[in-house]
Amino acid sequence: MQTELTPQGASTDILAIANMPVLWVLAIGVFAAIIVQSLVYMRAAKKAGPAADITESELKVSFRAGAVAAIGPSLAVVLVSIALLTLFGTPAVLVRIGLVGSAATESASASLAAGTMGAELGDASYTQAVFVVAFLAMSLSGAGWMLATLILTPILRRGDSKLRTVNPALMAIVPAAALIAAFASLGIAELGKTPIHVLSVIVSALTMGVCMLLASKTAARWLREWGLGISIIVGLIVAYFAHVSGMAPAA
Amino acid sequence: MSSSATAQAASAAAGAASLSTFDRTTSRWGQGTMVAALLLSLAAPLYLVLTQDLGITGNMIWTAYLAVAAAFFVLWFVEPLTYYPVLGPAGMYQAFMIGNIANKLLPSALVAQAAIGAKPGTKRGEFSALMAICGAAMVHVLSMLIFVGVLGTWLVSIIPADITDVARLYIFPSIIGAVIVQLVVTLKQPRVTAIAVVVSVLVLFVLVPAVPALAKAATGIVVLITATLSWFLRSRKTQTTPTALVN
Repeated sequence: MQTELTPQGASTDILAIANMPVLWVLAIGVFAAIIVQSLVYMRAAKKAGPAADITESELKVSFRAGAVAAIGPSLAVVLVSIALLTLFGTPAVLVRIGLVGSAATESASASLAAGTMGAELGDASYTQAVFVVAFLAMSLSGAGWMLATLILTPILRRGDSKLRTVNPALMAIVPAAALIAAFASLGIAELGKTPIHVLSVIVSALTMGVCMLLASKTAARWLREWGLGISIIVGLIVAYFAHVSGMAPAA
Repeated sequence: MSSSATAQAASAAAGAASLSTFDRTTSRWGQGTMVAALLLSLAAPLYLVLTQDLGITGNMIWTAYLAVAAAFFVLWFVEPLTYYPVLGPAGMYQAFMIGNIANKLLPSALVAQAAIGAKPGTKRGEFSALMAICGAAMVHVLSMLIFVGVLGTWLVSIIPADITDVARLYIFPSIIGAVIVQLVVTLKQPRVTAIAVVVSVLVLFVLVPAVPALAKAATGIVVLITATLSWFLRSRKTQTTPTALVN
C-alpha cells in the first residue's frame, strides 16, 4: 500500500465522496450538453431538410424509429449500470458507463488504475484514494476517445485520402488484437486471485456463451444486448452464495 | 437560358447554401458541446483530487494514466476512423459523447433509414440517421436519469450491506468473463485470440513474477506484443473485414 495516503485517503467509504453534490451537478451538466446538442441538430435538420430531399414528417418518423429501437439497448445498459453503482457511485456511473464509455472499457480502466496502486476493485484495499485515481484514469481514457474524435473528424471531413486508405488488413487485425489482448490479460489476471474470483469469471463467461448461442440459434436476438447484464447478475448471484458458504478467505 | 433552367439553378444554389449552413451549424455546435462534455467529465475527478485530503500524488495519477493509455490508445484512434464513414461528421460528435455506438446507435440509425426508405450514404440517409441518433439519445438520457440516477440510487440504499459488499467485490470478474466471450465470439479471430491468451499467460505468470517492476505495465505489454505478433502471424489467405468495437 502507498504510505503517503492520509487517513481520509485510506478510508474505504467510497460512496461518501462518490455521491457528493458537486459530482451530481457536473454529471447533469454532461447530460445537458447532449440534450442541447440534439436540440440544435434537430433544428438544423428541419431547416435544411428540403435541400436534403427529406420531408418534415420523414424526419419525425426517423426520430421516433431511432427512439423506439433504443429502448431495449438502453434498459440493458441501465441494468449493468445499477450493478456498478456500489463500486463507483451514481454520478461516475451515469457519466462513465451510461454515456461516454461502456461498462467494459470503464471497469477495465478502473481495474488497471487500481492495480497501479497495489489495490483491487471492491475489497479492503479499494480506498477513497484508489477510487479517485481510478475515476480520474477512466475520465482521462474517455477523453482520449473524445480528443481523437475532435481531431480526426475535421480531417476526415476534408476528405484526407491518406487516412481513408489505411491498409484494411491492418484495420481488421490490430484493433481486434488490442481489444482481445487488453481484456484477456485483465481476465486472466483475475484467475490469479481468490477461488470466488475464478468462479465469477467462469460463471459469467459461460452465461455469456449460452446467451450468444441462443441469440444466434433462436429468435431471441435481444439476448445480444442483454447478455452482459444477465451474465453479471448470474455471476454475482453465484459469487454471493459461494461467499456466504464460506469459500471466501477471512477478510 | 430558359427561365425554368434559371429557376432550377437558383434553387440548386439555395439548396447547396442551406446544406453548407447545416454542416457549419452541426460542426460548430457538435464540437462545442463535445468540448463542454469533455471538460465537465474531467472536472468531476479533478474536483475530488483537489478538494479532498486524500494524499494523492501526481506520480500516482501519471502511473495510472500510463497503464490505462497503454491498453487503450490504439482504440482511441481506430474507433473514430472506423465509424466515420457510417456516422458522418455531425453524427461523430453525437456518437462519441453518447457511447454504446455499435449496440445501440447504429441499429437505431439503420431502422430509421429503413422506415423512410432512405439509402445510407445519401443526404436523406444522413439526415435520417442524425434524427434517429437524436431519438436514441433522448431515450437513453431519460432512462439513465430515471432508472439509474433516481431508482438505482434508491435501490442501492435499501439493499442490505452484505449483498452490496459482495457485489462490489466480485463485479469486475463477473464483467470481464462475459466481455471476453462476447469479444471472442463477435470478432471471430481465433488466431488473434490464441496469441492473446498465450501472451497474457506468459507475461502475467512468467515475466511479471521474474521482473516485478513490470507489474504495472503488464496489460500494456500484453497489448503491444499481441498486436505485433498478430500482425506478423496473420493469415494471408483469408480476407478479414473490420468489425464492431467496444464502444
